[in-house]
Amino acid sequence: MLKSKNLVPRSRFLVANSVIIFVFTILLIRFFHIQVYGHNEYKKRADINRIRAIPTTAPRGMILDRNGQILVDNYPTYILTGLPNEMGNDNKNFSVISNCTAIDTAILIDNFDRYFRGRFIPSRITKDLTFDQLSCIEEHKHELTGINYIQFPERSFPSDVHMSHVLGYVKEIDRSLLSIMDDTEQYDAGDLIGWRGIEKQYENILRGEKGLTFLQVDAFGREVGTVKDINDIKPIPGQDIFTTIDLGLQKTLEKAMSDYRGVALVTDPATGQILAFVSSPDFPPDIFTGNTTLREWREIVNDPTKPLLNRITNGLYPPGSTFKMITAIALLEGLMIEQDEEFECAGIYQFGDRVFKCWKVSGHGKVNLDQAITQSCNIFFYQAVQRVSLNRFIKLCRNFGFGSKTGIDLPNELAGLLPTRDYMNRRYTSRGWSRGHLLNLALGQGDLLATPIQLAVYINKIATRGHTFIPHFLLSKVPETTISISLNEQTWVNIQEYLFHAVNDKHGTGSAADPKINGLNVYGKTGTAQNPHGDDHAWFVGYAKDGNQMASTIILVENGGGGGRIAAPLARIAFDYIFNNKIENRLAVK
Amino acid sequence: MFKDLYNQTSDMPISIIFMAIMLTCLGLIVLSSISTNQFDVIAITTFTKQLLFLIPALVGFLTILFIPKYMIHKYIYTTYSLMLMLILIPFLSETIAGTHRWINIGLPMSVQPSEFAKWIVVVALARYLSDHNLQMKRFTTILFPIFIALVPAIIVLQQPDLGTAIILLTPILPMLYWVGAKPFHLFILVAPVLSIATAFHTISFTVWAIIMGSTLYLTRPRLIFGVVFYFGNIFLGLLSPFLWNSLRPYQQKRILTLFNPELDPLGAAYQTIQSKVAIGSGGFFGKGLGEGTQTHLKFLPVQESDFIVSVIGEELGFITIAVMLIIFAIFILKIVKLAFLAKERFPGLILIGIGTIFMAHVFVNTAMSTGMIPVKGLPLPFISAGGSFLLSCFIMIGLIMKMGDESIE
Repeated sequence: MLKSKNLVPRSRFLVANSVIIFVFTILLIRFFHIQVYGHNEYKKRADINRIRAIPTTAPRGMILDRNGQILVDNYPTYILTGLPNEMGNDNKNFSVISNCTAIDTAILIDNFDRYFRGRFIPSRITKDLTFDQLSCIEEHKHELTGINYIQFPERSFPSDVHMSHVLGYVKEIDRSLLSIMDDTEQYDAGDLIGWRGIEKQYENILRGEKGLTFLQVDAFGREVGTVKDINDIKPIPGQDIFTTIDLGLQKTLEKAMSDYRGVALVTDPATGQILAFVSSPDFPPDIFTGNTTLREWREIVNDPTKPLLNRITNGLYPPGSTFKMITAIALLEGLMIEQDEEFECAGIYQFGDRVFKCWKVSGHGKVNLDQAITQSCNIFFYQAVQRVSLNRFIKLCRNFGFGSKTGIDLPNELAGLLPTRDYMNRRYTSRGWSRGHLLNLALGQGDLLATPIQLAVYINKIATRGHTFIPHFLLSKVPETTISISLNEQTWVNIQEYLFHAVNDKHGTGSAADPKINGLNVYGKTGTAQNPHGDDHAWFVGYAKDGNQMASTIILVENGGGGGRIAAPLARIAFDYIFNNKIENRLAVK
Repeated sequence: MFKDLYNQTSDMPISIIFMAIMLTCLGLIVLSSISTNQFDVIAITTFTKQLLFLIPALVGFLTILFIPKYMIHKYIYTTYSLMLMLILIPFLSETIAGTHRWINIGLPMSVQPSEFAKWIVVVALARYLSDHNLQMKRFTTILFPIFIALVPAIIVLQQPDLGTAIILLTPILPMLYWVGAKPFHLFILVAPVLSIATAFHTISFTVWAIIMGSTLYLTRPRLIFGVVFYFGNIFLGLLSPFLWNSLRPYQQKRILTLFNPELDPLGAAYQTIQSKVAIGSGGFFGKGLGEGTQTHLKFLPVQESDFIVSVIGEELGFITIAVMLIIFAIFILKIVKLAFLAKERFPGLILIGIGTIFMAHVFVNTAMSTGMIPVKGLPLPFISAGGSFLLSCFIMIGLIMKMGDESIE
């Protein structure tokens, strides 16, 4: 094992020693050359010519609508920075700046401390300098030490739509934010980061990469020029994002919804593209750019109508009668009902010890499935849904996307609530609920809660016979398929026919949704959802089809009353705009 | 038991651990200076981290002392295979800082397994070369050791980590030389590398061809071998520009950036200039601890590890640099002396290999910081911040203490 003798000739030992001594001598000479012989020259360079690397901000990409009209742009502002090491300890700098900008010294110092990251890193003092303020500072430059101004691109919103929930906003990173962020490598204090909406979702596309400018500065912090031998690193601007939004349609619907609290959502079932996205009330998108006063801000936060809530992805509502198609599909798929089978609606229905009512007090008389959807008869569904098992019903809801996030490209979407058997047992214990729960579900009431975007996926699945895509805003995105659902072809045909009747039949509840355009077929279902907190919510879900072109619309008016009366006419505005404005040429054809 | 341990340790070269402690202290002093201006929410600075890293380093050191020599000899090939697996693990997970160098162990810090490959390769080489049946005079026997070092080196190069890959390869030549390989054989090993390297520069290629020719003339190998070797190398050299041109531009760029990071737009030239200004402005006595403007301007992105010499040079001056280099020199000379005095070949070879690793680290790090060679990210032993490397260094100290037996003196 260890038997081999270590027989090394003395010559080799000496060679090894010489090599080591030789290398270390070379190193010592090199250090001596730099530190002692070259000391004066290097000292001069260190003292007088300090190289300062100044990060240059990359402009964020713009956000555009589907036709290239600008939704979010940048405009250049000037920000004032101070280099702590060169500023000295007295507050003379601040008082000079205060005189020029008319901003209180205390605020300036406060800002300065907030962005402070070290003695040798410029910290921000104020921003949005006007030309007058800049010239004043330039005049007083000799009184200032370590003070600099740089250009900084800020977000601006040239279009007159709000879309605040979609666009989101950017936030300036300050010290407190920096300490809780995971990704501190990429960001510095004072940078902008997408904080909500598309700005957050597509931060990586929009952001770009920062550059570096190398400047020679003298001992007083004055620039003496650029550094030779070292090239500046140019910032790489962020990429622009084309969204699927149609600016004109968005504007029309924002205007139509301005008197209501609620939602107007238009998508293309064939691609999943979102054409308009209105969550009302909303707020001007520029309130986060720093010109908002604290009072205005408090008003928005404390507003009882909750303008900050994105009702489409985060509003939870009972879907009401718009949910009736689930029962219809369950019955048709299970061959549990004949096309012409009729149920009696007397306006009132007794189930166990509970009494369920139809919205039409006098009752619909004898109705079949088609008429029940067309006229939105409740009693029909109370009776018919009893043929379906709860598990089967829940499974169908799941396949239509209820109870899970749709995967829309906005952050923080909610999943809604699908009251499964397990959920009910947990909430009410196994004895605390009964089959009446299923009757509630059939009408889209009870514990069930859905977001409008989930209803959009649901109606898009019906419109495309199960072949729709996840709703999205990024125009260049390859659409992702939703949960697959396979039904008999005849079931799809029937359901679409019922929805067509609900708009076009003379008894149809949704007739107000039809803009009456030649060749355009409108399908839809109204809903009037009871809600424990006030008046009923008005719903309309539906789609319109002209040849290959399709668009689906979800309308919700909170506490609006009847869906046919309030929501359907709003849907008409959307269909009217789309199919009268030749948007069809721009809709992708599948 | 303690008496046994005392008997064991009394024969050990205590001066080695003494020098290691001095260098570690110098490192801690410099790191505490860097940390004074560090901005962090919780009080974890580079300095406090390094203090914590001393605990595993000490444990590693003591562990090695307790393992008998024959165990090290017996299980080194198993350890070697284990190490190969470990350096492959980082490829399974996502990159950290753009490389597959670290293993995430769920703690705030990651482990860099390739650090341990350095001495494992040395011990594995030592076991192979200390086989008493080995025919060192034959050229083919020196090919296998190259294989032992080349496998981990190639894996590490893919991470990509050129610095560590070079360190893994450096012990081969000195260790072969130590067991008596013919200098001519070593020359044959190095020749193809130099043929390719000089091929891009006409004058250096000519000079190299002349050196090769005269060496062959002086050593007088068999005629057929000499002819094949000489023209083989010339042919390789002439061929390499064509091979180079057949690469795609992005492949060329990747290779060039590997060997010459100054082509990288993030500006290695900027780092070298700043490092030299920092060192030079320090002068003979330095600016004083914590007073280095260049250091605290944070010009050097890795001042706590790769460019720590610049901080020492600026704040503590040439006098400290000189003392530090002299300690390193005595340290390495001592290791070589222990290697010479070793009774058996296995410990002797381990000492030579470890000595080479320390030597290579010190040379590459200081030469890079003073702009003598292109920037290669290699830390300075005992001084640079970094847990895996500190642990590895102290394990090597443990090996030196174990293998270096002074009792003969």
